[in-house]
This record gives sequence, C-alpha cells and structure tokens, in this order.
Amino acid sequence: MERSGTSTPLADAVQGLTLELVSALRSGGPFRLAGSVTGADGPDTTDGPGLAAVRVVGADAVLPSVLRRTSPDPDDLAVFSRAVHAYPPAENASPASVWSHWAMQRTLLRLGASFDGTSRHEAEPRATWLDDAPWQSLTHQLAVLAPLATPGADCAVARVARGRPVDVARGFVRAVRRRDWLQAAGAGRWLVLLDGVPETLGLLTGLEFVAQMGGDDPRVALQVEAARLMRAGVLV
Amino acid sequence: MYSTEFLTDQSIDIQEVEAALDPIEADGSYRDSRQCAALALLDAKTQLLLSPPTPRPKKG
Repeated sequence: MERSGTSTPLADAVQGLTLELVSALRSGGPFRLAGSVTGADGPDTTDGPGLAAVRVVGADAVLPSVLRRTSPDPDDLAVFSRAVHAYPPAENASPASVWSHWAMQRTLLRLGASFDGTSRHEAEPRATWLDDAPWQSLTHQLAVLAPLATPGADCAVARVARGRPVDVARGFVRAVRRRDWLQAAGAGRWLVLLDGVPETLGLLTGLEFVAQMGGDDPRVALQVEAARLMRAGVLV
Repeated sequence: MYSTEFLTDQSIDIQEVEAALDPIEADGSYRDSRQCAALALLDAKTQLLLSPPTPRPKKG
C-alpha cells in the first residue's frame, strides 16, 4: 500500500520513533527510547504524542534490547512502562489492542522490569477470533500484531501462526501483489519464524523486494529489519 | 484497567491510539505487469507465486 499523505502528531511521532529503531537495528548502535520520546526535562515529561507512539509501536519500542538480549536503560523501561499504564485497552477494545498491550507487559517482565512495582500481568488473551479467520484476514491481523513475532515467542497468536504457515505465505504474496508493503513486511516477519513455509515462496527475495518498494516507510523497514535479523539468528 | 491520572498530559485521544492499533486493511492496488516482471527477475524461484495470474480465457 502506498503511504497516505495524512499526517497527525501521533502518526509523525510513530514515524520518528520507528525511524530511530530502524537505524539502531541496522547499525547495531545504541538505542535510547527515553531519548527518542521524552522532553528536555527527562522521562517524566514525555509528551503526549511521544508516549502514545510508544504504545502504538508496542513491544517493538524496545526491540533492539529484545533481539540483543540486553536490558534497556532504566529510563527507557520507565518510558515503556508509562506508555503501558497510560494507554490500557479501552472498553470494547479490539483484540489487536488487547494483545498489543499484553505483549508490552510481557516484554517488560522479560526485560526484568517489575510492572508498576508489582508482578501484575494480565492473563494471556484468547485468540479465538483468529481460529477461523480466512487467510487474508489472518495475515492482516498477524501483520498488525507483528511485534509478537519474536524469537521463542509462545502465545496463542503465535500458535495460530505456527499452525497455518501456508496461509500466512499466501497472505504474504497477496500483500505484495496489493502493494501493501506494511502487511507484507509484517507477514514476512512471522514467516521467518515459522516451519513449513513453502520454499517456492522465495521469502528472502520477497522481503528484499518489499524493502525496495516500501522501505521509505520506516514502519515497513522496521519489520523487514526485524525479519532479516531473526532469520540470520544474529545478535544485533 | 488502570488509573492514568498520575500520568503526563494526554494530548492524544485514546480513541486515536486504539484506531492506530487496529487499522483496517486498506484497499489494495495490484501491481502491473512490469513490476511483476521486475520481481520475477530477482529470483527465478519466485516466479510461481509472484508472477501475474494467468489470464482467464475470454468468454464467447
């Protein structure tokens, strides 16, 4: 999908944060979440769009630390935790929102941070809405939930994906052919973690093509970089 | 759900965040033949799945 020309403070903040994440993943250099979204007076002064952007980017906001298996700076965790608290799933929130929030909580715990000073963590949501989803819808939802696609991830959404590798592969091809680069990149990220993906898919070549065509959008570039790194199994 | 009163100024409406977290699938526009051909050139193995669909025979 070609990028829309719509620009809002939130969209701009998401783009900016994602761009910094891409830069960190590509370079292997340091990434400071707090430095990316906080005001001049420190992490307690995180601005609205910046904090909301962390919530939208979700668990990927600390992806460099997750892939490097290192602990983020305490200020980074503080910002991440603030986003989790500031934007809990709303009443009647979508499964994507609920799962994104759950993934952020899980990531906090995995990175060694207590959640709000306690070990409280919401129970894993159900993924029944995906069980009977057509492959097109499944791929869309998985792409939206791409931050859940991390090495060793085990949750209901990941189990659904593992059970339908051919459907996700079909969805990847469909997304490429529809120019939906963001969906293609997200689906590709899942595919690098799945067994049973048809070799005829040409996943790596497809990902390169997605990067070439959609890489100007940092959200696309982030998913492609994550997929490349996880495929290579390299600690960045 | 948690209290958020202690948090920073929330100038971003929660509904805007929710919408960003659950985007609808936008309408697609299928690639033209030249782009499909360019992709096929990248790797012959991808031709089966990423090449354009076989044209359907015309009726009549």
